[in-house]
Amino acid sequence: MAQLTLRNIKKIYPLRDDQKKDKKKDYKKPDDPTVEKANLEVTARGVVAVQDFSIDIKDKEFIVLVGPSGCGKSTTLRMIAGLEEITEGELYIGDRLVNSVEPKDRDIAMVFQSYALYPHMSVRDNIAYSLKLKHLPKEEINAKVLEAARILDIEQYLDRKPKNLSGGQRQRVAIGRAIVRDPQVLLMDEPLSNLDAKLRNQMRAEIIKLRQKINTTFIYVTHDQVEAMTLGDRIVVMKDGYIQQIGTPQEVYSHPANLFVSGFIGTPAMNYFEAKLVIDENGDYKVVTPEYETVLSEGKQRRLKALGVKEQDVTLGVRPDHIELSDQGVSGRVEVSELMGSSYHLHINCAGKDVIAIVPTEGREIDYVGQNITMKFPGYGCHIFSKEDTHNLEY
Amino acid sequence: MDQNRKAAIKLTIARILAYLFVAFFVILCLFFFYLLLISASKTNFQLQGKFSILPGSNLLVNLKNALNDTMINIPVGMMNSFIVAATSAVLTTYFSALTAYATHVYDFKFKKLVTTFIIAVMMIPPQVSAAGFVQLAYKYGLTNKLWVLIIPSVAAPSIYFYMKQYLEATLPIEMVEASRIDGSSEFGTFNRIVLPIMKPALAVQMIFSFVASWNNFFMPGLLLTKPEKRTVPIMISALRSADFAKFDLGKMYMFIFLAILPVVVVYLLLSKLIIKGVTSGSVKG
Amino acid sequence: MKEKKRSISYAKWGYIFIIPFFVVYAIFTLYPQLLTFYNSFFENYREGLTQIGPNFVGFANYVKLLTPTSEGTIDILKYFGNTMIMWIIGAIPQFVVALLLALLFTSTRLKLKGQGFAKTTIYMPNLIMASAFSMLFFSLFSTVGPINQILQGLGWLDKPFDFISFKISARSLVALMNFLMWFGNTTIVLMAGIMGIDESLFESARIDGASSTHVFFDITLPLLRPILVYTMITSLIGGLQMFDVPQVLSKGIGMPNRTTFTVIMLLNNYLGGSKNYGMAGAISVILFIITGILSIFVFKAMNRKEA
Repeated sequence: MAQLTLRNIKKIYPLRDDQKKDKKKDYKKPDDPTVEKANLEVTARGVVAVQDFSIDIKDKEFIVLVGPSGCGKSTTLRMIAGLEEITEGELYIGDRLVNSVEPKDRDIAMVFQSYALYPHMSVRDNIAYSLKLKHLPKEEINAKVLEAARILDIEQYLDRKPKNLSGGQRQRVAIGRAIVRDPQVLLMDEPLSNLDAKLRNQMRAEIIKLRQKINTTFIYVTHDQVEAMTLGDRIVVMKDGYIQQIGTPQEVYSHPANLFVSGFIGTPAMNYFEAKLVIDENGDYKVVTPEYETVLSEGKQRRLKALGVKEQDVTLGVRPDHIELSDQGVSGRVEVSELMGSSYHLHINCAGKDVIAIVPTEGREIDYVGQNITMKFPGYGCHIFSKEDTHNLEY
Repeated sequence: MDQNRKAAIKLTIARILAYLFVAFFVILCLFFFYLLLISASKTNFQLQGKFSILPGSNLLVNLKNALNDTMINIPVGMMNSFIVAATSAVLTTYFSALTAYATHVYDFKFKKLVTTFIIAVMMIPPQVSAAGFVQLAYKYGLTNKLWVLIIPSVAAPSIYFYMKQYLEATLPIEMVEASRIDGSSEFGTFNRIVLPIMKPALAVQMIFSFVASWNNFFMPGLLLTKPEKRTVPIMISALRSADFAKFDLGKMYMFIFLAILPVVVVYLLLSKLIIKGVTSGSVKG
Repeated sequence: MKEKKRSISYAKWGYIFIIPFFVVYAIFTLYPQLLTFYNSFFENYREGLTQIGPNFVGFANYVKLLTPTSEGTIDILKYFGNTMIMWIIGAIPQFVVALLLALLFTSTRLKLKGQGFAKTTIYMPNLIMASAFSMLFFSLFSTVGPINQILQGLGWLDKPFDFISFKISARSLVALMNFLMWFGNTTIVLMAGIMGIDESLFESARIDGASSTHVFFDITLPLLRPILVYTMITSLIGGLQMFDVPQVLSKGIGMPNRTTFTVIMLLNNYLGGSKNYGMAGAISVILFIITGILSIFVFKAMNRKEA
């Protein structure tokens, strides 16, 4: 059984001497000097790259760690792999505490962002390397390599060197090298980020198919929320070393735990408005903006009431596809209209703010540009976030 | 006259001058080797007499005389030189690569110090340790032992530096991590993944250190006193003390020819690799 | 929990892998070096079959080294001067010729053919055994050697000229060999330096109206300077260690009249016969200090190159 349990996992990078003098200086992760400056916590012991990470991962589950650069997602994956030491906390693979177990004894495999194929070995030898190290019999190695190659459709390249392969083929070899060992857990670190857009879509589908063919636990790191939404059984959204939310793609999308998650997941991104949360004469929750007000949907009412949320200033978030054009409501002027096939993406200037709305074409060609329009936000599409700590007031 | 033609003529003249300049130095280099070659093929009588630009007829006789000389046993010298040069070349590249790998891949406390130290001592002339080395060799009876000349090559700061630069340019850490996850030991990763990736650098440094060792005169000259332990450079320098009125000059040229032959052969076979090695070593280093 | 606290940190492998290097370095280089320095403060030599010392003498060896002899010269300075003079006579043409060749080879205007062959040929002397090369030159330039024969044949000389018995010609021979052995190497290094310069800089200078001369002085030379400085100083450090060529050419005595005698030849003399570890130590320390100072310039040039 390959369920994984992470309990309060923490990663602290000790400060280098030159950083000790000026702790406030933005810290860069030592293993990736190109990351954008993340706002990581600095303690006396060093920079905290991952904070109290806890999750129970079920056997055969597909977990995606997603977040912006420097959020700690890769560090978490590398701790699971055993490439980084776990500073604090406990990591179980199955029932075994593996904090101090070497990677080779953890029964995991990993696909690297750069593929890390051995340049001097043929594709066959690349895939067979781990099996050879285990001293498996030759026939068994051959059979397993062929099986992996068949699954990934790279049988005809087995005798080539990596440098003679295209990006997509290299990617397949890297995956082949990982699955040939029948690992309990398959770790993938941004495996698609080196591919061009078209190939990325194709490989994403391949990974979904691969999952149906090989039955194992997947942990997948990406900064691309589309990959996260399409691949994961559950998504872990991270920022600045903290877990922001764990949930199914649907949960994360429909019930974002906070402002950050709501903005990070979903394209185009959620629109935000300054608003007030008020309780009307019937005792129902309403969001009120200067031009518009709407009663929240029933589910939201129930949750807010249960928590006893008080009237307050809030940030109102509305996804572009929940905005409806109507004769009254929030007004704005369409500045750009992008035809995306079945719908228009309208960029609307609402009192200086850029609001994006998705409007179905319904088979008509409409020139929205320059028009003044009004929009309404249905109650089920209104997300309300605390002004104080940005959390979703429903939870 | 139209400008195009003027420019074309100017370019042609410049080109001719350039070719002449280059040719002069190419011929200068070849000239001395040619003189050596024809001299090694002449009889002593031909060499003493009027100079001729043509080769003589005595090449094989000179070769036989040189190989059978009783005073200067050149085959033994070449064997000794080869043992020292070949083993040093292997040891020095392997351990320099290993050390460079250690300071490239692993994060340990004294890594910066180690790297700085090796680079700092890189420039110290080998002669600075000579006095102490000779003293110790005599004290512990280690003169006339070839391994005493071989073992020190394990620690070669400049080759370490080259290997370090090469690793920084060619070995992503992910490759090492992939091998770890594939189940390799650290030592296994170095031998099975890293060394093959470093092949070009190893080849270049192996050649350079072989050549340097083959040509080394100073330390072997101080430590190898027994005739049967001498290396080629010591034998060649001993020629200088010969009595030239009596010495067969054809044979002497043949000795010189034999001394440089292995390196010239290696060079002619691998000149492209070697010149690339000079380039990469210097630009980075 | 009674889990044995084992670390998956790989740091220990870093230490393990550098052990061979450092053990060998400590025993075969560092310890002898320290011993050399230590020795320089002792009187320790052999006279015939009698061993003198070791007796502590403080700086006496250094004082002796820097005291004028009965002829009124300070030997070590004289030999240092010899070394430098022979280095300079060789190094000036070495760098001028190498720079010119490098420019010709890299010129996109001239597009010279046969570069591979030319480079292969001019680099070859760099790999030749210096002692054998020197022995060859001794024979070729001897009074009965082919050079004298050729010069007489051409009628430029009426009687054989003994190159190694005159100061100027003997030193020039050493310099000529150093030149031949190193100009090809320098050419290749400088070529790499020139080719490392961004091609578009030359192109934009040309479009700005710069002539070839201007491009050379305004673009190539300033950008090449760090590599040039680096090569020159390493050449100087190498020059200080000059030994094989003059040793063989002058039969180890620096003829004529010790004018081709170098610092390392002196070191070799002290170590060879009399096993004078005290004096040899003092020379080594001086060599170490001079090289150390020069090395600082090398590292400065290296850092500028990286910047």
